Amino acid sequence: MKTKKKIEDIPFEEYLRKLENIVQRLEEGELTLDESVMIYEEGMNISKICLEKLNKTKKKIEQLVIESEEKYSTKPFSEKEGEDAINEF
Amino acid sequence: MINYTESKIYTVSKLNKYIKKLFENDFNLQDIWILGEISNFKLHSSGHMYFVLKDKESQIKCVMFRGNNCNLRFTPGDGMKVKVRGDVSVYEKRGEYQLYVREIIEAGKGELYLAFERLKEKLKDEGLFSEEIKKKLPFIPHNIAVITSPTGAAIRDVITISLRRFPNLSILVVPSLVQGTFAAKEMAKKIDFLNKYFKDLDFIIICRGGGSLEELWAFNEEILARSIYNSKIPIVSAVGHETDFTISDFVADLRSPTPSAAAEMTIPDKNNLINNLSLLKSKISRAVKRNLELKTENLNSLSSSLKYQGPENKINQYYQYIDEFSARLNSRIKHRVELYEERIKKDSQRLGSLNPWAIIERGYSICRKIPGKEIIKRLEQIEVGAKMEVIISDGKILSKVEKKEVVSN
Repeated sequence: MKTKKKIEDIPFEEYLRKLENIVQRLEEGELTLDESVMIYEEGMNISKICLEKLNKTKKKIEQLVIESEEKYSTKPFSEKEGEDAINEF
Repeated sequence: MINYTESKIYTVSKLNKYIKKLFENDFNLQDIWILGEISNFKLHSSGHMYFVLKDKESQIKCVMFRGNNCNLRFTPGDGMKVKVRGDVSVYEKRGEYQLYVREIIEAGKGELYLAFERLKEKLKDEGLFSEEIKKKLPFIPHNIAVITSPTGAAIRDVITISLRRFPNLSILVVPSLVQGTFAAKEMAKKIDFLNKYFKDLDFIIICRGGGSLEELWAFNEEILARSIYNSKIPIVSAVGHETDFTISDFVADLRSPTPSAAAEMTIPDKNNLINNLSLLKSKISRAVKRNLELKTENLNSLSSSLKYQGPENKINQYYQYIDEFSARLNSRIKHRVELYEERIKKDSQRLGSLNPWAIIERGYSICRKIPGKEIIKRLEQIEVGAKMEVIISDGKILSKVEKKEVVSN
């Protein structure tokens, strides 16, 4: 990578690929001691980032209430309110 | 072409091939719709369908291959009134002509079906279904929206399955009509609304549970199709059951056979991901440890071979040499000493035999002059009348020379 991208911009699966790549390189066993220490640290760091990415969002189940073409609000989702919830504009 | 001279004789297969060609070149027998009743229906294990299509007076053999029948919305059965579309051709092996069916629709459902087909063709030609424009869904979604009825089983299934797979997911439920005259327009507007105000949604699922063709019809309307096509946010279409295909399905970025399947397909299983991560992590640790062990082993073998070739070893070798050498020296000296001892023993024995006393013991005696104690070996050493002593084994005898006489021996 030429320019350093932000962690948030790099998708989870790319980090996963990096991690798999690290495993492969380590298992080939042709790294110097310094390299394997470095790559080990990188791997641990990446797996931490991956976990962070998985835990980034909070559970939230909301319902959209559209008031007009420009106005809306959200409220907790409840199944009970039934058909009333369907609002047209 | 066949030349009907009396002398010309054809094989059966050549004849059938020719007849088949006649059928296939006849425009009136290709891509036609036929109305009839299904009879003698058989679904072969290969997936191909065989049946007879008949009316009151007549019947024709039909075959519908698996590739064509997999999208059927219903399972054909005996007695069913249907419209079938296909080509008439010849099965050369048996010399039988039959209808090769490509489509079957239940008679009576024709109107909607044809409308569906027409719109499908039109949008397809415009490129709304093309694979290249389909947007990719993110591997890990965080924010999703679901446009559906807020009361149906569909929304419940989507929420339950999504949260089971990924417990910390943000789901925005967008309640909407999903059937009836206004449903398509409403869903379309809601897609547009989300695109305007919820740009960071990872994708939108539009769904409803199973129903009749009429009940699912909103998903076959052009207004919804266009909205899906224009959406910047990826759209997942999940309508009805597995066998139901709608226009929305074709335009959407991803088609799911059912609402539950939509959740299964789009929401990754977080536990799996975490397990996979820890597996990779432990693989890394193991590999590093093994690398380290290998290197240590290498170092050990190198340092031991260094020791073998180093100065320490040379010194040890010298030590050994010295030890060997001193042992050799020791044994030499010992040998020498032994030799001397032997000699001394021998000498002392010889000395013993030379002891004059030993001779005297055997009966010899020694005469010595008095005074002077000179041992007398010859006559001339003493005069007659002179005194001398005779030494014998246990003492001496004082004597006087009486006479000297030469004895010849």
